[in-house]
Order: sequence, then structure tokens, then C-alpha cells
Amino acid sequence: MNTWRVLWIKEFRESWRSFKLLWIPLLFLFLGVSDPLVNYFMEDILNAVGNMPEGFQMIMPELHARDLLLATTEQFQMMGIIVLIAVFVGTISRERSGGTATLIYVRPVSAASIFLSKWMGASLVALLSALIGYIGSIYYTSVLYGEITFSTALTIIATYSVWLLLVMSLTVALSAAFTTAVAASLAIILIPIGGILDSLLGGYWHVTPWKLARYGVLVTDGTIESSYYWTTLLLVIGITLLCLVLGIWATDRNRRLAAV
Amino acid sequence: MNDWSAVPWNLVMPLIIIQVLLMVVALIDLVRIHETKGPKWLWAILIVVVSILGPIAYFIIGRKQQ
Repeated sequence: MNTWRVLWIKEFRESWRSFKLLWIPLLFLFLGVSDPLVNYFMEDILNAVGNMPEGFQMIMPELHARDLLLATTEQFQMMGIIVLIAVFVGTISRERSGGTATLIYVRPVSAASIFLSKWMGASLVALLSALIGYIGSIYYTSVLYGEITFSTALTIIATYSVWLLLVMSLTVALSAAFTTAVAASLAIILIPIGGILDSLLGGYWHVTPWKLARYGVLVTDGTIESSYYWTTLLLVIGITLLCLVLGIWATDRNRRLAAV
Repeated sequence: MNDWSAVPWNLVMPLIIIQVLLMVVALIDLVRIHETKGPKWLWAILIVVVSILGPIAYFIIGRKQQ
């Protein structure tokens, strides 16, 4: 337990020194703020730069606060998730290929400590980023489009945090099991591309892990049945735990295979 | 045509501040780091010229893990 804490503090320090703890939250804040702003001023932007022909008329859809929060979530799901995967997919595999992993292998540190400290380090950055991003988005949306209740905000942020824990546990587990290149391709296929496929074909079923982020927004105004939401949530938590177990197992296996 | 006073600066300003902050953080890191993938001056130009994507590309691709 103590070694795990030491390793986790080391991870935390590394995130701070490499500015991860600074630039990833800033990126999420930018993504969160840009959607409400751009949509609100869409007409002005088009008038200013669009070179619209004389007499051109366009009917803007009437957007509600919920639509903006959905748009923000979609931004996080693409750009945000891809950046998080790209940053953290090497956490374990790069140490293995670079040789620093053996420095830890020769010490009496359990595989669980190694893996869980990495996962916690990555998750902390991801959760902080999503929190800051959503606060920005919710603030702007409530100023420009109308009230968002505290419980709505809390539900959205909490649901997205659960989803991010899954993303990070899968990313770090893949990093523990494979080389950086393989882990990166698998993670990109499983999460962002899986999400796109699910949104294209997913009309036929109601419960897949990729739907959780959308459901977190939709459940707040009762657009979807709450039973779908809870089943998806439980499914995601289950897969997260599975990823953690598999990740620890892979870390242990690679450690035993390493020639020290 | 350009009516700068019509721009709601109090709303747009945070967006600009975030972009500048990202740029500054990336530049500080670029100066402090020992080595990058590809020439340093090229990254400096990219970070300054391409807003948002420049600093992000630098942090993901350009940074060499020691």
C-alpha cells in the first residue's frame, strides 16, 4: 500500500513537470467553451466571414441548453479522448521499451502497485480536465442559453467521469499488455472508432458502453428511460474493473518475462 | 465592416486567453526540454502560428520522453 502511494505521487509529479496537468485541462476548457460560444454567435460569424450572397436567409435551429451540453460531450468524445489516449497509451509500454521498467522490477513492488499507480495518475489528469471543461461549458451555456440546475451539472460530470475511468483503465491496460504502437491502435479502434460505429448502427439496441456519455446528458431531462442509463452505467463499471484486473495480470506477466 | 466594438469581448476574451496560455506553456516547455523530435525552431513556429492544434501537436508528437 505504501509503495503504491509513493509510485502514485511520482506519477503525479511527472504529470506536473511535463505540463500534462496544465495543457490537457486547458484543451478541455477550450473545447467546452467553444461550442456554446460559436453556436450563439453563428449568425454573426457567417455574416462576417461567410461571403453569403445578397438576400441569403438561413433559419437557425432553436438550441436549448441541453443541445449545447450534448455538443460539448461530443467534442470531448472525439478530440478530448483521442488526446488522452495518445498521451497515456505509452505510460507502461514506453517504460518497458526504454528500460526504466527494470529499475522497478528489481524492487519488491507488486504488479498491482505499478499498474494501479499508473492508472490513478492518468485518471487524475483525465478527470480534472473533464471537470474543468464541463464547468466552462456549463457556465457559458447557462449565461447564453438558460439555467442549468446543479443536479443536472453534477449528473453530467459524474457520468462522464465514470466513462473516463473506463477509457483510462482500458488505455493503461493495453499499454501494460502490448507495445506502444499496438496499444495505441487498439485503443483508438476500441474507443473513438467504436463510438462512431455505435452511433451509426446503435439505433437497434439501447445498452452499449459508448452510449454512456450521451446518456449522462439525456437522462437529466428524461429523454431516455433511466433503466437504460443505469444498466449502461453498471456495464461500464464492470468493464472498468475487468480492464483493471487484466491490466494487473499483463503487468505481472511482462514482469516475469523480462530478463533482468 | 470591421466593427470591433460590436464584438462581445467579455465573452470572447476567455477563449483567446486559453489559446495564449496553451501557446505559452508549450513554448516554456520547448525552451526547457533537452531535445525534441524534429528541429526545435520548426516546433516554435508551429506552436505560435497554429493556434490550439500547434501546442497540442507539440505536446503529443514533439516531446521526447527521456
